[in-house]
Amino acid sequence: MGDSILDMYLYETNTLLEQLDGILLTAEQADTFSEDNVNEIFRIMHTIKGSSAMMEFSSLMTVAHRIEDMFFIVREKGMDVVPEQTKPELFDMLFQAVDFFRGEIEKVENGDPLSQSIDHIVNKINSLIDKIQGNPAAPAAEASAEAESAPASEAEAAAPAVSAVNQDYPYGVHVFFDEGSGMENLRAFMCANSVKDYCGDFVTYPDNVESDPSTSDIIADQGFFVWFRTADDRDSAIPGVKNAGSVREYQPVDAAKPAPAPAQEAPKAEAPAPAPSAQAPKADSPAPKPAPAAAPAGQQHAKESLISVNLSKLDQLLAVVSEIVITESMVTASPDLKGLRLDNFTKSARDLRKLTDDLQDVSMSLRMVPVSGTFQKMNRIVRDMSKKLGKKAKLTLIGEDTEVDKTIVDAIGDPIMHIVRNSMDHGLEENEADRIAAGKDPVGEVILSARHTGSEVIIEIKDDGQGVDTQAVLNKAIRQGLAAPDHDYSQKEILNFLMMPGFSTNTEVTEYSGRGVGMDVVKKNVADVGGTVSISSEWGKGMTTTLKIPLTMAIMDGMEVSVGGSMFTIPINSIQSSLKVGAKDVIHDPAQGEMVKIRDNFYPIIRAKELFQMEKGYENIEDGILMWVESGEHSYCLFVDELLGEQQIVVKPLPNYVNSFGVKNYGITGCSILGDGSISIILDVINVYTAAHNIF
Amino acid sequence: MAQMLQSEEVLFATESDVDNYNDQLPEIATEKYLIFSSDSLMYGIKAEQVRDIITGYTITYLPRVPGYVRGVINLRGQIIPIVDIRLRLGKPEQDNFCIIVVEVDGSMVGIMVDMVEQMVDVPLDSILPVPTNSGQAMVSGMCTLHDGNTMLELDCGLLLHD
Repeated sequence: MGDSILDMYLYETNTLLEQLDGILLTAEQADTFSEDNVNEIFRIMHTIKGSSAMMEFSSLMTVAHRIEDMFFIVREKGMDVVPEQTKPELFDMLFQAVDFFRGEIEKVENGDPLSQSIDHIVNKINSLIDKIQGNPAAPAAEASAEAESAPASEAEAAAPAVSAVNQDYPYGVHVFFDEGSGMENLRAFMCANSVKDYCGDFVTYPDNVESDPSTSDIIADQGFFVWFRTADDRDSAIPGVKNAGSVREYQPVDAAKPAPAPAQEAPKAEAPAPAPSAQAPKADSPAPKPAPAAAPAGQQHAKESLISVNLSKLDQLLAVVSEIVITESMVTASPDLKGLRLDNFTKSARDLRKLTDDLQDVSMSLRMVPVSGTFQKMNRIVRDMSKKLGKKAKLTLIGEDTEVDKTIVDAIGDPIMHIVRNSMDHGLEENEADRIAAGKDPVGEVILSARHTGSEVIIEIKDDGQGVDTQAVLNKAIRQGLAAPDHDYSQKEILNFLMMPGFSTNTEVTEYSGRGVGMDVVKKNVADVGGTVSISSEWGKGMTTTLKIPLTMAIMDGMEVSVGGSMFTIPINSIQSSLKVGAKDVIHDPAQGEMVKIRDNFYPIIRAKELFQMEKGYENIEDGILMWVESGEHSYCLFVDELLGEQQIVVKPLPNYVNSFGVKNYGITGCSILGDGSISIILDVINVYTAAHNIF
Repeated sequence: MAQMLQSEEVLFATESDVDNYNDQLPEIATEKYLIFSSDSLMYGIKAEQVRDIITGYTITYLPRVPGYVRGVINLRGQIIPIVDIRLRLGKPEQDNFCIIVVEVDGSMVGIMVDMVEQMVDVPLDSILPVPTNSGQAMVSGMCTLHDGNTMLELDCGLLLHD
């Protein structure tokens, strides 16, 4: 139980911090906080403060509290209150605070004790608050921040907002009507009428109850406020409240002492529009809805519509769903049904099929998450590094919404970070002048993009820096004994040296990259999820690193073929076409390799029977069929016995024991269970090609 | 003297006798073993590792694996590799279709054997180490059963990972 609360806390706080990071980055670019930003930061800090207090993490709570105070002032008085020269300081402080929160959260996650000395950061915030205030009015602001913190918090929404609508009417009565009495706005109106008999000088909140039925919900939720000028007025009016119908409960409330600048505040409250600034975020419906109200309301809704689920439960669900799909086809295609005319059964079976398809789609989508979270983190890295290294750079994100499996998102985070750092550190030119001389925008650009092809996610990290100096790479590779000095290497081969363990071109180790670990680790991490890394670069123009990762645990469309009585699945999207050829169409090369000419191009033939050392299977090229396949830069024809047909299959990984024999290198990536319960082996077109080349 | 008598009795006890014995002297630790035969030798697998005994499954051939891996089967939706113990131990191949499914280190593996014999309780202290010069690399111990046969204790982990 305690753990699940902690989990919730960590999850929530991390999400908020990520959000905050995002806001800060956009705000820094705009060099100001919009009204929405300020409200959002205020809300985030308030939530962190509240939940940290609940978890008794006092350091987090104190810092969040101070920032909340600061943003309260900003919120009240507008961004103009921050002197121009203080702005960079403000941003830096906030980024520091985010780092501080992250650090503390990490400590919580690891069970380490939290920092005790938070004075430096608190002092920094305090001095900023003073600067913003321009005078020592901080204590007063703090008091009112305390009092008014309620509106932002969802949990406290029902608590009385002890803040007068109008500073001139500080003495209030908080009235609640019978629960479920309905038409609360009219009851409030009647209540106000009844009060009128005793004392005429008062204001109400909400104030347009008789004309706006939507206020009824607010009243039901938060109660109805009647504010008086003096305590005496209120006392004399109490009987009026008492006499009004359906009143469940009422209590006198006193408004907090007004915020430091009543003169500024008063005109606002007297303005004809009903929603006064402090109250607005809380009441989310009165007609002229001010902008701040929208943000918290939308946020709360989003929060409620998300739940976090243990990943293992999802996996379990998926396993069961794939079983259902398989079992369903086993039932409907049962040999016992052969030759029977079963109209009703067939109809129901069809319905069942549709439902299981839907079920499968939905459950598959559960594990999919957008890459935006991982991408957004890079913003911060680019910002920090560009400050530190003094290189101007911007990050452009493309296809943030691309959804990939959760395991992939987890696996690509570090590799992307490595590559982005590399681009910032080694890729972009040291001096702006160099960029200008090369005719480029002085501000460097790193583009991070994600997209789907049928069976893969492609993530590209591209920079417009100086590119890779292939000669330097080659020289280094030779020095390190990775390359032979008297060999001619292609551009691509040279770039591949970058991904060898222990290779780093930079002679100096910087804070961010160049520890000699890097691209080889990237390659390994990506390979762990079955992906590949490739680098392309043009000297002077920049460098592109491409990660190609297969969609794991996917359902895919495959073409079933048979070879020597065994069934194999070839992914549909790598098939160009299938063709029958005669013996005379086959061209032999001196090494007894076979080729076939299709549309003015020659393609090698790979015989599956030989590659897989099958005992049975067709020998004559006329008997079988050629599957012309293509993936990446390889295109060839796979010779198989028969084409069985297209099928949607659930990819199952091979048992670890089988994988330990390295069958992946022969293009055997997984298997799937067909409708009749038999197993088909899924082929990976690229590895089949490489395997065939290594053997023959 | 009494000690020796005891251990002898245990060695030659039938299964029911062992049960009686356990009632009287519960402190003697025993372990259940599933005995199977392969090429006229008796092997035992710890019963706690055994998940299933199956026959009549179609084995899907898997290319490019050692010959003793006969392929994979679909056991209620799970893909399970099948190891032929005859081929694994370098014995001649024979058509045998009895598969013992064991769980080793969290993964399931089917072991193809000639025939499954019986389940016995074996006192742990009767399992003796294998003389080092015997070539049976996957046998971690041996013990004489009550019917006079010798059971070779099969170490499934070694069977898979060697």
